[in-house]
Amino acid sequence: MKSTNVKTKCSYVVMGLGQFLYGQRIKGLLYMAVLGLYIWYLFSAGITDIVGFFTLGTVEGDPWLGVAGDDSIIMMLKGILSFLILIAVIVFYFSNIRDIKNTEKLVEQGKPVPGFYASLLSFVDKKFYVVALFLPVVGVAVFNILPIIFMILIAFTNYGGDIVPPKLVDWVGLSNFAQILSLSGIKDTFVRILGWNIIWAVSATIINYFGGLFLALLLNKKCVKGKTFWRAFPILAYAVPGFITLLGFKFMFSYGGPINYYLKAFGLQAVGFLDIDAGWKARIIGLLVNAWISIPTSMLLATGILSNMNNELYEAASLDGAGRWKQFTKLTLPFVVFSTTPTLITSFVGNFNNFGVFYFLRGGLYLDDYFLASDTDLLINWLYNLSIDNNYYGIGAAVSLIIFIITSVISLTAYVNSSAFKKEDTFR
Amino acid sequence: MRKERLSEAVITHIVLIIVSFVFFFPVLWLVLASFSASGSIYDYEGFFPQSYSLGTYIKLFSDTQMYDYPSWLRNTLFVAVFSCVLSTVLVILTAYTMSRFRFKMRKPLMKTTLVLSMFPSFMGMTAVYLIMINFNLINNLWSLILVYSAGAPMGYLVQKGYFDTISNSIYEAARIDGASNPTIFWKVTMPLSKPILVYTALTSFAWPWSDFILPNMLLKNRDLWTVAVGLTHLGETEFSRFAAGAIFIAVPIVILYFSLSRFLVAGVSDGAVKQ
Repeated sequence: MKSTNVKTKCSYVVMGLGQFLYGQRIKGLLYMAVLGLYIWYLFSAGITDIVGFFTLGTVEGDPWLGVAGDDSIIMMLKGILSFLILIAVIVFYFSNIRDIKNTEKLVEQGKPVPGFYASLLSFVDKKFYVVALFLPVVGVAVFNILPIIFMILIAFTNYGGDIVPPKLVDWVGLSNFAQILSLSGIKDTFVRILGWNIIWAVSATIINYFGGLFLALLLNKKCVKGKTFWRAFPILAYAVPGFITLLGFKFMFSYGGPINYYLKAFGLQAVGFLDIDAGWKARIIGLLVNAWISIPTSMLLATGILSNMNNELYEAASLDGAGRWKQFTKLTLPFVVFSTTPTLITSFVGNFNNFGVFYFLRGGLYLDDYFLASDTDLLINWLYNLSIDNNYYGIGAAVSLIIFIITSVISLTAYVNSSAFKKEDTFR
Repeated sequence: MRKERLSEAVITHIVLIIVSFVFFFPVLWLVLASFSASGSIYDYEGFFPQSYSLGTYIKLFSDTQMYDYPSWLRNTLFVAVFSCVLSTVLVILTAYTMSRFRFKMRKPLMKTTLVLSMFPSFMGMTAVYLIMINFNLINNLWSLILVYSAGAPMGYLVQKGYFDTISNSIYEAARIDGASNPTIFWKVTMPLSKPILVYTALTSFAWPWSDFILPNMLLKNRDLWTVAVGLTHLGETEFSRFAAGAIFIAVPIVILYFSLSRFLVAGVSDGAVKQ
């Protein structure tokens, strides 16, 4: 009795040692191998990585003197990675403890300890979700969570502009946010873009939503013959890849394009619809093009919802003498709006962050009174200009955090209020 | 009353014709442009080319000095096929597990994906770009495939909605017969999930096939470009080459969507209700 407890305690100190002593050789060795690898990593790189995360480098590189120097960005990445590895090892450690307790119980009851192959099989069966989710979770952690953590951290550094490796990057606290909210050039740009972004998101969502609803109702009418035929046209528009549509429309409104051809044919001046000084012309074209792209999606959505509607309601309503318009406002609209509230929110957020439209229609234009942006750019386009085109990584990351806060507040309020999320098991 | 009905039907159909025209005409315009004998948009008579020929398509595949369309197409196909296979496996596994099992980490995981999806997609991409630059993984088609497939499990909700509709009693019956969970997954769930498998495979093929942002960031070498990146580099004088290249890449996707439109309605509205 005493000796088994000692064996169990061994696993608290050295992961896998207990399992090994109980006779589960391979499992014990595997656990110990993980521990050994981690200790080897810790001493060969891990500890320096963790320290480097906080200092972000102390030696500035100098090619003239042949000093290699520290690369702050790599140090930060390796630092994040070392924390993620630490978390993974802790998870392993706890699984080791749970495992050794199970084994101890089996031994106490005098049952035989399962061999490696048997315990592997029973693990794959009982903990199928762990096996199935392992790869997806690792993938998401490395390619989604790590980058996002990295960007959040970048928002608090002075990375960007002149300060890129080999220069050393430093933690600067909230000064990027302070710059966005106070420095005159950046602040004006931010406020203007935010204003236009909100106007854009609201009007684009309304246009697309009601456009789609209108189309779906039109196609749902009893008098329409050949519904599949008519529905094919919006679906065609839906199926064409977005960048092709956007570039196509850019050609259509360009100087040599057909619209200007007809203007000139009528003896008018060619209009630079998407030029740098286009202003509202470009904004309205953007809204229309976006409607062309998005209305088919919301039409499909509304069609699906309308087909779930109870027809008896309409019969009852028309018996009660309700007119067509009244049926629409009192029956159809509340039903559709009720069942699409969550999508309405996602589509609002999607429009808020609609990168493609203005990137393709008139990307890369900078107006004089804007800081690296033009009057049609949304926050997300500004973010692109700042970080990808002009290396203002720190400020760019701060802008993306602000976008995140805006969109997550909007969507969280919506999710909290949507019953679909709370009652997902109702229909099982 | 009859007359009223008739005039309503006429008005409805007139509106439908206008709407269809609006959706169809830009597409038709591009198709015509791809058959134009002259490449530059300045030689057109408004929407229509002056004369027609197959020349642009031949040029697209033979005149590869400046714009190497065949190799763009090869790269796109390579990326799309591999991402499609990997993403489908990962998404189906995630969705099935989230739907079928109840475990301690389930709700936290679901909430994490929810929060992650609220970050502007771009933010992660900027970071991926920086990471790839720093680790010298830029100009590599495999890094594209990795990013596409690793991010795919985040969009598991539609598939989870499908698995939610499979009744629990089937699983319980299989369990009583002594089937282990992996066996259930292969022998019970997979045969029932053909529609959602097809839907997942096609959407995860279509995304890299027509994505522009990520390849534009990660592929700087001309001969590694995908079609989407290459086409954006064609100016007004290469308009019909653009049109031909666009038609060529759009046709497979359009065919896929039409053969799938049944699933699409279901997929879009499922996603809406489940969120």
